[in-house]
Amino acid sequence: MEYIYSVLILIGINIIMASSFNLIIGYGGLISIAHPIFFALAGYCSAIVSMKFGVPIPLAIVLGTLFSTVLSVALSLPSLRVSGDYLLIASIGFQLGFVEVIKNIEAAGAASGLTGIPALYSGPLRSPAFVVTILAVAALVVWLVHRMTHGDYGRAIQAMRDDEECFTSLGRNATAIKVAIFAVGSGVAGLAGALYAHYSQFLSPEQFGIIQSGLILTMVVVGGMGTTWGPVVGALLLTALPQAITFVNLPTAIMAPLQGMIYTGLVLLFLFVRPQGLMAKKVRQ
Amino acid sequence: MTAAIRLVSVQKHFGGISVAEDISLEIHAGEILGLIGPNGAGKTTLFNLISGIHAPDGGEIYLGDQPLSRLPIYKRARLGIARTWQHVRLFPTLSVLDNLLMGPRDYPGAGTDERAAAILARVGMSEARDKMPGELPFGQQKLVALARTLMNDGKVLLLDEPMAGVEGQVYETIKQVVRDEAKAGRAVCVVEHNVSFIRDLCTRAVFMFNGRIEQQGTVEELLASEKLAELYFGGKKGETRS
Amino acid sequence: MFELPILLQIGWTSLATSTYYVLFAVAFALTLKVAQVWNFVQAGVMGLAFYAMYAAMLKWGWPTAAGFTFGLAVAVAAAVASEVWGYRVLRRRRSPGLLLFIFAIVVAEFVAYLLSLLFGTEPQSLKKSLVSEVHLVGGVAITAWDLEALGITIAACAALAFYLRRTRQGQFMQAVADNGELAELYGISANRAYVIAMAIAAILVSIGIYLYGTRASMIPNAPLELILLAVIATILGGIGSLAGAAISAVFLSVLQSASILVIPSQWQSSLTYVVLFVVILFFPTGFRLPAWMAAKMRAR
Ligand SMILES: Nc1ncnc2c1ncn2[C@@H]1O[C@H](COP(=O)(O)OP(=O)(O)OP(=O)(O)O)[C@@H](O)[C@H]1O
Ligand SMILES: [Mg+2]
Repeated sequence: MEYIYSVLILIGINIIMASSFNLIIGYGGLISIAHPIFFALAGYCSAIVSMKFGVPIPLAIVLGTLFSTVLSVALSLPSLRVSGDYLLIASIGFQLGFVEVIKNIEAAGAASGLTGIPALYSGPLRSPAFVVTILAVAALVVWLVHRMTHGDYGRAIQAMRDDEECFTSLGRNATAIKVAIFAVGSGVAGLAGALYAHYSQFLSPEQFGIIQSGLILTMVVVGGMGTTWGPVVGALLLTALPQAITFVNLPTAIMAPLQGMIYTGLVLLFLFVRPQGLMAKKVRQ
Repeated sequence: MTAAIRLVSVQKHFGGISVAEDISLEIHAGEILGLIGPNGAGKTTLFNLISGIHAPDGGEIYLGDQPLSRLPIYKRARLGIARTWQHVRLFPTLSVLDNLLMGPRDYPGAGTDERAAAILARVGMSEARDKMPGELPFGQQKLVALARTLMNDGKVLLLDEPMAGVEGQVYETIKQVVRDEAKAGRAVCVVEHNVSFIRDLCTRAVFMFNGRIEQQGTVEELLASEKLAELYFGGKKGETRS
Repeated sequence: MFELPILLQIGWTSLATSTYYVLFAVAFALTLKVAQVWNFVQAGVMGLAFYAMYAAMLKWGWPTAAGFTFGLAVAVAAAVASEVWGYRVLRRRRSPGLLLFIFAIVVAEFVAYLLSLLFGTEPQSLKKSLVSEVHLVGGVAITAWDLEALGITIAACAALAFYLRRTRQGQFMQAVADNGELAELYGISANRAYVIAMAIAAILVSIGIYLYGTRASMIPNAPLELILLAVIATILGGIGSLAGAAISAVFLSVLQSASILVIPSQWQSSLTYVVLFVVILFFPTGFRLPAWMAAKMRAR
């Protein structure tokens, strides 16, 4: 039973991550590989303020989420002012750089990881409570992304992606929209990270490497970029698949790269064979 | 009377070639200025400089008394610079109505639905409000693009070859709209190769060649000019390019 | 601590280690200039070249020249394949830039995983011993590797400059870089120019990774960090300028080595990222000469 709970929680987290990443890359057209690092930053922030400063956990989660949101603006604002391409480059630096930084900070447990993070829930109903919370948040996030990308604001995003120059010439501030999209997406990733920290009670730099970037990207591309349900389907599929692989008992030295190859290989396959992903009806031009 | 928009010694290079060389120009409220010149003269570039797509290498552009060169594209639009594009550029994934709704200075903005409906009616396109741009013939796409620009309610209206590829009823509609917009006090600048359109509408015209203003004056003066005929039509006067 | 011999030593050593950064940066800048792609595939090409050389030289016991040639061949083949079966297909479909980016970065990651699967994540180098013969010149230790690296890099850059300026193919490539569509009108095949650019970049990268591998050790993830330096150098040098990229690479290398004097060594690797943000914030279009100097240059 505990195993099923943990898989459900993982699915919930992955839906949150994939949906919010889809907002950024699929709807916003912004390429960043730094999504896992916003998960990490909020997780660490929330863990540390609750452990070191005794901040109540729900408040710590809010602080962690805000921390990621603010840092995402600090990353995206300067790079987007130049051009969209620079965001990707800055995000690679952000992703690799922050993992490096976390590895060197003693207060964050350095390379061996941060243990003893207080749990959000305790007692016999702990796991089901987490399942409900995280799945509820996941549902909320899917709804939020859907709302943001449909209706007035959604049409503006669509127009911006169609023809940005024309869009701005009509008086629309494309940079503001992109920064907002990036901030919301990253903030949501942060929320997932903060919740996760107080569920698993352990964080380590390995959990947010570039392999996670690849995994989330795979979920979005396989499911279908720029669709509401694509990332959900992608997250379900790609959470179940590695679970199946773990039954084949391979040593980690083979397991980790093999998983990475499967994720990146799937992205490449879909990129060429079915670029629109599983959930899109037709290729959008 | 101060000009609605004023260019002072504006310069622009692309690599080695100069596409705007010491351009000084004023357009007044209520006036329709014709901007003519052969392909590659730098007419579209001038619009791009005014609307902020390109930053000038030198000189300044004023909207009223406000210098523009440090402002981003969208801020210029919000100050009232509205333009169309030589290549129409409607948003292909949005309906005609939604295309118009992107146009006002504040978005989504109150009462814009009604304004959009009124403007669509003005250009005779009320029927097409829920169609996608791709479903419309070229001329009607141009009308929609013009309508979208009108949503800005701007002080300056820059029209890049509004008549190219257009004929019949659409032609008449555009002509009427341009006239009305000037009457409503906007400073209008039209790039056109169609001489009769320029002659019918413009009070004043500017002739550009190789990034320079070669001559300006009344339309009659320009059309009578030997130099223009030579540079523009290669000597064959009276012909126009479609 | 800030004594002259130490400064000289740091200056010399960082100049020598900048050689491979220069090669990586020029390769990256070249594909960006000609094919207009941020070619992160190059990280994969680097990894493949290195491990091919490693397998040939250390596992199969081939002589150095043969091992290097093998690595070079693998690298060129991979780079050309990425162009022909990757970028070209995406370009033909008029895929948005987003997909080209994703393609490039995902290929680089894929190769990194493949290499960790095949060769493990233990650091490896191309020589059993990385110690190299040392000469003392005026108190500065100059190793045989330093001289070899500088010689090879200068020769490679000179050859590239000659190729781009003096040969027909090279001039075609310049034309494609300036205006692909126009070049096509004059009967110059843009696709061909892209392939050649990728191949040349692969050669530069192979030379660079050989120099790197005979001096330092390598893990499958390292190319992704190495390429980041090339990206920073390319931006700092001003996109489109190969010489700018090369000079910036030297500057970054010197900066990184000199930082030992002022920041603790465990933070040194984070410096790259700090520089990245500084560059994006303050020099997004490259480091520019002051206006009066630029005007003087243009007047010439
Ligand atoms: N973004 C750009 N980069 C480089 N050169 C450009 C750019 N935009 C325009 N040019 C060049 O500037 C010159 C002027 O172009 P422009 O489009 O302003 O001409 P035009 O007068 O509008 O001509 P047409 O009647 O064909 O529309 C041309 O030589 C063109 O190739
Ligand atoms: Mg034009």
